[in-house]
Amino acid sequence: MSVFQSFKIVGTSLLLLISGISLANTNLHKDHLHYNEPTKVFCDICSCATSSGSTGFGTLSNSNFFGVRYMYQNFESRNGIFENSPTSEEHFNTFQLWAQISVYKNFYVTANLPYQDLNKDFNGVSENLSGFGDASVIGWYKHVFYKKEESDEVNFSEEKTPSGHSLQFGLGIKVPTGKFEQRLTESVNPGFQVGTGSVDTVLSLGHNYGGDKIGVNTLLSYYAKGENKNEYQFGNQFSYSSRVFTVFPKENVNVMPFLGVSGDIYNEIKQYGEKIANSNGNIVNGTLGLEVIYEKFIFGSNYTLPIYQDLFGGNVESKQRFSVYLNIAI
Amino acid sequence: MKITKFTFALLSCAILLSACSSDDDAATEDLSGQTGDLVLKFDNGVGDQDFIFGTEYAKSNNESYKVDNLKYIISNVRLTDDEGNVFEYPTEDNIFIVDEEDGNNAGEIYITLENVDAADYVSVTYGVGVDQERFLLGAEGQGDFLDEASDEGMMWSWASGYKFIRIDGTFTNDTTTDEPLNVHMGSVGTSLDNYRELTLVLPNSARVRTDDTPEIHLKADISKVFDGTTSVNFADGYDQVHTDATETPVIATNIQGMFSVDHVHND
Repeated sequence: MSVFQSFKIVGTSLLLLISGISLANTNLHKDHLHYNEPTKVFCDICSCATSSGSTGFGTLSNSNFFGVRYMYQNFESRNGIFENSPTSEEHFNTFQLWAQISVYKNFYVTANLPYQDLNKDFNGVSENLSGFGDASVIGWYKHVFYKKEESDEVNFSEEKTPSGHSLQFGLGIKVPTGKFEQRLTESVNPGFQVGTGSVDTVLSLGHNYGGDKIGVNTLLSYYAKGENKNEYQFGNQFSYSSRVFTVFPKENVNVMPFLGVSGDIYNEIKQYGEKIANSNGNIVNGTLGLEVIYEKFIFGSNYTLPIYQDLFGGNVESKQRFSVYLNIAI
Repeated sequence: MKITKFTFALLSCAILLSACSSDDDAATEDLSGQTGDLVLKFDNGVGDQDFIFGTEYAKSNNESYKVDNLKYIISNVRLTDDEGNVFEYPTEDNIFIVDEEDGNNAGEIYITLENVDAADYVSVTYGVGVDQERFLLGAEGQGDFLDEASDEGMMWSWASGYKFIRIDGTFTNDTTTDEPLNVHMGSVGTSLDNYRELTLVLPNSARVRTDDTPEIHLKADISKVFDGTTSVNFADGYDQVHTDATETPVIATNIQGMFSVDHVHND
């Protein structure tokens, strides 16, 4: 059952992370990079099943912000039941308003509202679907770890020294502001929808580390998808993302290149309470990206290619993903 | 540890949230008197390849074939719902010719059944060809289908009856190249009954409602005509299958096993 699966996955991940942190804590570096401690901005519970939360962790820098993001995704789908059945090509454009806003001390909120512009080309015929997608809001609590004080040292300062490690816990909701169209469920690529029509919940756990030379941001998320009014329920989803980055500080510009691995595991789609065969999937992506911080402006760009994938019985193939964003720190 | 407690609290919230969806709304749906449509979507293939006219397909015994005409007769369609009730389509309309020529751009041939009782169907049963009972209704008893079958080239003389499947093309093997291939299998009057029925269990139930038209996507693997329950060779005379009492039942049984349900699409 999905709830137990989610419990297992999140539980295991938690254990792994916590053990990883205790290991890392014994091995602390004295100095840390002089940039803001990285945190991720959870942003994208895209409406589409083939879109994913693993797309969303673009902003490496810590600050609260608001901004816009553009994302392009490209898929190829087999329109038929045979190996040589004709394929369609899907081009998904997503424009997002997104923000991270501090609420109180270690509590903050991320929110995003996407606008979808989806295109499908099949047999020389183009089909377009556009409109607002599903908005999401997630509340976060951030726990910062501090260095343990050595017993034989006297610390005159009242300030504790951050260890470079922090954990983030997020609990959020995605609401069906986008339109779900039942006629599109016939489409081989179930992602060809601007919205899921369902209320989904998301549970996230993130870990950030900023060390001497590198930083690592990791995020695990589980999405419990609700059933929509058409008795159609996208499969629950587990997303993971980890990014390793470094920083090249210039006078008043920070340049932060990063390398990342991310992925999504989708359970089967259910319709009328029955699982639909070949509607589950698994994809692992590699990402190369760059973030540039100049004064209050954060510019980011990244390019993602699949490393391994098996989506919807092999009928859908993710080709590539590209995104750019411009945020203003607040 | 504080973190563990906090995480546990969060997890509990998430479990509560995701556990509160209800699915107790479908149990009391009253479907009596309601009817709707159901589509049988036939898709011919050869193994995992879509069937295409004029393409050379390999078979056993180092033989190959190309087909330029492919038709078969489907009749006596029955649907069984999740409570075991059987819906049978009205006999006079319950016979169809599946002609590859009629396929859409994806090569799918649609048969639409109208006024089907609303229900959640879990299996479909049909016959390939024409059963003896229907044949014995005589020429008048065939209604419009006699003309349709004649026009489609699916008849011998009335006395011999219908061709259940028609495959025309050429074959190649070690000794000959592009020789004619004609499989015209049927019953022979009342003396040889080659009508066969089959039942396919659906992977998802097909929900027929006034406004919901499910599609059952059926795959017919044409390679099974020659390499089915029994593998046959063109070299042994299966290049010309007409009324032979030995060959036709072998082909009939092979065809009975060539169908499968790929998926059911509910609107």
